[in-house]
Parts: sequence; C-alpha cells; structure tokens
Amino acid sequence: MSEFFTNIKQQNQVNIVELGGYLDAHTAPQLENVFSELIKEKKFNVVVNFEQLSYISSAGLGVFMAFIETMRENKGDIKLAAMKPNVFNIFDLLGFPLLYEIFSSENEAIEKFIKQ
Amino acid sequence: MLRTNDDILIKRNLTALVEFSRAVNSSLSLEFTLNNLLLSCFGKFLTTRGFVALNSKGFFTPAAYKGISREEMEKFPSISSGNDELAKSEMKSYMAGHNLQVCEPINSSRGVLGCIVLGEKINKSGYSEDEIEFLRTILNISATSIENSMFVEELRGLNRDLDQRLNRLSSLFELSKEFGALIDEERISKLLVYSLLGNFLVSSYSVCYLDETKLKVIESTIPKQPVLDFVNQINLQAISVPVGTDQINTNYSALAALKVELIIPMKYQNETRGLILLGKRMNQSPYSDTDIEFISSIGNLAIISLENRRLFKEALEKQRMEEELEIAKDIQKNLLPKEMPSLKYYDVAAVTVPSKQVGGDYYDIIRAAEEKLYLAIADVSGKGVPASLLMANLQAFLKSIAMQNLPISQATGLLNNLVSENTSEGRFITFFWCKLSTDEKKLIYVNAGHNPPLLIRDRKIRYLDKGGMIFGVMKTMVPYAEEEVELQKGDIIVMFTDGVTEAKNRADREFSDEKFENLLTGVSPDLTANEILQKIRSAIDEYVEGFPQSDDITMIVVKVL
Repeated sequence: MSEFFTNIKQQNQVNIVELGGYLDAHTAPQLENVFSELIKEKKFNVVVNFEQLSYISSAGLGVFMAFIETMRENKGDIKLAAMKPNVFNIFDLLGFPLLYEIFSSENEAIEKFIKQ
Repeated sequence: MLRTNDDILIKRNLTALVEFSRAVNSSLSLEFTLNNLLLSCFGKFLTTRGFVALNSKGFFTPAAYKGISREEMEKFPSISSGNDELAKSEMKSYMAGHNLQVCEPINSSRGVLGCIVLGEKINKSGYSEDEIEFLRTILNISATSIENSMFVEELRGLNRDLDQRLNRLSSLFELSKEFGALIDEERISKLLVYSLLGNFLVSSYSVCYLDETKLKVIESTIPKQPVLDFVNQINLQAISVPVGTDQINTNYSALAALKVELIIPMKYQNETRGLILLGKRMNQSPYSDTDIEFISSIGNLAIISLENRRLFKEALEKQRMEEELEIAKDIQKNLLPKEMPSLKYYDVAAVTVPSKQVGGDYYDIIRAAEEKLYLAIADVSGKGVPASLLMANLQAFLKSIAMQNLPISQATGLLNNLVSENTSEGRFITFFWCKLSTDEKKLIYVNAGHNPPLLIRDRKIRYLDKGGMIFGVMKTMVPYAEEEVELQKGDIIVMFTDGVTEAKNRADREFSDEKFENLLTGVSPDLTANEILQKIRSAIDEYVEGFPQSDDITMIVVKVL
C-alpha cells in the first residue's frame, strides 16, 4: 500500500493540494489538518490534484464535505482535478459531481478560479 | 407522372427510414435514441414541438422533449399508460393546453413502452393519414431500440446500485477495522462523521453520546446547546428506532427548527447510547431505507467502539486506583511505630493486621518526655482512602498535642475539637489513650467511645471505660473524664479494636467478647506481652480458619513488670 501524502503549492492566488497514495479512514485526519490549516491562513481558493492518488474511501470523501461550506462561505471553493478513473468512480457514485466542479487537469481548475 | 411522384415520395420515405433505423440502432443510449426520434419527426413533419414519455411503473413520464419549456413539461400530469378513457381525456386536455396535436403510442411485444406527442406543423396543415402511418413505422423501428436502451439503462441503474452497496460494504469494513484499532474518542467520532459526510453529501450533522451518565455532543455543525437541551429534555430511550423528517416535524419541533431531517439512534446492547442527527443532503435526495440501515450500522459500530474505549479506560482507572491503594496501605504502615520502647516497668507489644482494603485502625506509641509515654488506639469509621486520610490527620494532631504537656482529659477535648473541624457528616473516630508513668506503675487514661480496653489482674477483668464522646461528632461541650489506675506487677492491659472481637468465621459468627475475655483471664502469668499477643492472634486465626476479614485487627498489649 502506498503511503498517503499531501503537498501544497500556490499559483496565482490558488492553493493547490496534491494528494498521493491511499486516502481512507486511517489517513483522512491528515487531509483534515491540511484543510484546517488553509482555513486558518484564510486561503479559500483550493484546487485538489488527485493525479497521484491511487485510492479513496468514502471516509476520505467526507473530508471534502466537511470543509466545502466554509470555503464557499468565504467566496472560495474546492475544485477537484486529475482523478484516476477508479477515484472518479467513487466521487461519481456518491453524487459529488453535483456539488463539486471536477476538471481533467489542474490547469483547467486553476483557470476557472482566475476567470471567476 | 403521378406514379413517379409517388415513387419519389416512397423512395424518400424509405431513405429516411433506413437512415433513421441505422441511427437509432447505432447507440444504446436512451437519450440519443429519443433525441434522434424527436429530431427525425421534426424534420419529417416540419414541427417544432414534441416530447417522448416513457412508461414508468404504469405511468407516462416525460423522458425527452424539444421546443417545449421545462416549466411546460413539469405541468405534465400523471397519466396512466393503460390507454383507458380517463387517460385519453387527460392526455387530450394536456395536448390542447400546450399546442400539441398528435399522440401515438410506442409499443413493443411486451406492451406499451411509452408515447410520442408532437406539436402542430409549421404550415398548420395537420397530419395526413400517410404521415401518421409513417410516424407509426418510425415508432415501430424505434421500439426495439428504445426497449434495449431502457434495458441497458435499467442495468446501469442496477449496476450503480450494486456499486453503491459494494462501496457501503467496504465503508463498513474500513470503519470496523479502524474502530477496532482506535481507542481515542475524538478519532472515533471524526471517522464516523467523515463516513456519513462522504456517503450522504450532508454538511449539517450532530453526534451525541451518553458517556456513562453525562451526555456529550462529540461532533457537530448544528449548534450544540439546542441539541443538548433537546436530548436532555427527552428520554434517550424514547428514540429506539430511526426518526424521519415527518415525525421530526410533528414531534420534535426544536430539531425541526435546526433543520434536522433524520435521527438515528446508536444502540449498544439494545439500549440507545447516542444519537446521530443529520440535516438535508446537498443533492436534495431523501434518505432511503437502505441509507438509514447503513447509517444505523455505522452508528452502532461507533458506539461499540466508544463503549469499548470507556470500558478500557475504566479498567485502567481501576488498576490505577488499586495501585494507589497499595501506596496508601504502604504509607499507613509507615505511620505506625516501628519499634517498641524498652521500659523499666512495662513490656509493650502491638500489632495491626490490615484487612484487604486500606482500613481505619490506628495505634501509636509516643514518648513525650523521659517519664511519660502515651499509648493510643483508634478506629476511624469507614474504610479506604477517606478513612486513612482522617487517620493520618488524627496522628498529626495527636503527635503535636502529646508534646503540649496538658492534662490528658483537656488534651483529649482539644483533639476532639480538631478532629471535629476536619470530619464531614457521618464520620467519626473511636479513641482511647493512656499515659504511662515510666518511673512508677501508674497510668491515666481517657476513653472517647472506644471499646473498653481490658485490665486483667488476678484473672479478673476491669474495663477502662471512663471518658466521653467519640471524636468527630461535635466540638467538646462536656469535658472528658480521666481515670488514674495504680498498676501492679503481673497486670495485663489489652487495648484492641473491634476487628478482634468481631472477627468472623465462615458461618458469619463473631469471635465475641466472651471468648476474648475467657482467653485473657486464662493466660499464664509467665507470658511476655508479645507471647500474649501471639496467643490472641492464633486463637483468632484458629477461629476464622482463613476466612478473609473485612476489618483490621489491631491490639496493644502491656504487661506490667
């Protein structure tokens, strides 16, 4: 099992969170810390890059639900990008595309923020 | 000429049909097929409005529409696909109201698949017989394709359903694995919440849990106080099954005001130990029965984990308390005198046998001056740490007061005052002490409610019972009486706590004062204080036959030399 990791970078006022490895009940608190930290620093425009994420469980999805409202209340958003098909399937299955913008690449997601 | 025209028309129709047939059969997408059907009809009949409704559980349900606004489509009533008179007239009235002219059923070998409804032609010429015939042909060709697409759609739905169940199963598996490994309350509740959020797209929730007797809101985006107020007000056991939105609205208006749509009890051994409150799902779907079942499952998993954590903590606490008790016992042991004084006229021996718990027995030997020796024995009411604390307190007072060189009765009154200030309701100490004069055979004593020590002289017993009230009940109002006793060689004085005479055997019968006194009046005058002590101990041991004692056994024996 590949170790879960997060990596944060910034580009044009957009905060990019790169995820890799397995995001499940066990590793979800790590991602929670990342989002809490972003909110503390008032960084509300977030793109999550899933390119290196190989697995996500519904507990992992829960973390995105836990923070989306705070981001949106502060005129920001969490946009999702570059998911592997198996990861996208879980998001799709649980109805996330209704509530989240999902892009095929990180750049598209960033551009969407810039246009807004 | 006419024939040629007809030929051209037929040819054109045939080409259109072949094209259409190829198109609709090229895809298994229902949306594509229906769109194609509508567009083909629009092109063929030059109309701009129309929709296809499919038979869903006996009712026509619009599945594709063009040239008709969504608002118009939403007004489409619930019409039976049974082709009865009522259905016909309902369809007619909708068509009339929305500028639609033709309605044709789409049939397959299995029955009515649906119907197509088309608007008037642009040239307002109305549909000819031939055109209706052509429409029917198109519909016949489409029917198989629509049926297949519907079937595929249904399969897709089933697949999705299966995927969803699979996903939930893996969620349950994941959580039970995590919950089994965790003992941290915060992580348990976090994981529970993440799982709920991820699976149900909710962002408004509250989880509360009855930790022994205290109700705690452990995770919440709903304001905590109103939730606490609500749960404190109702009986938690009243919610033993999930409560849906309608019931919340009628029965629990406080929660309805917080936009709670679902209450799920978390049960442990068939008892509600917590609640999960959920708000609206962000995709607006209601909670289905399987949803509720799933939430109940993870809720119960979480409560088991929380309960295990609590029991684990309790066991740890108990272990810690036992360790503390051991330490307390140790301290208590250290409070007792370590060696007996060697005196010209007296031979002194003492023992205390603690029971299983930290007890309240106490004895002390205090050398106040060269010619004065205090012997004290006391029994603090109760057991355990509170009793031993009070005992340590008494010892501290006693040691300092003994040094004051006061008359013993006055000193006793002072001691009681000090103890009374330091005891709470219902606690008391029975206390006896005496001052031995080391340069002559004489003692002076005060007995504050302690079972009277025995003075044995010539096989006869005298009770040392002068004194006053037990310690700790109230401040000294009446001065304590003291009594001076002249001693003789061979006198035996035995001070003891009720653990001696009340030592019990397996049959729950006490050793008794009588046996004790008979034993003492029978001892040989040659025995030393320690030998007398051992004799009493073995008599008790013989009597109780190893039966564990609930009280400490404490004695001081003085033999006058």
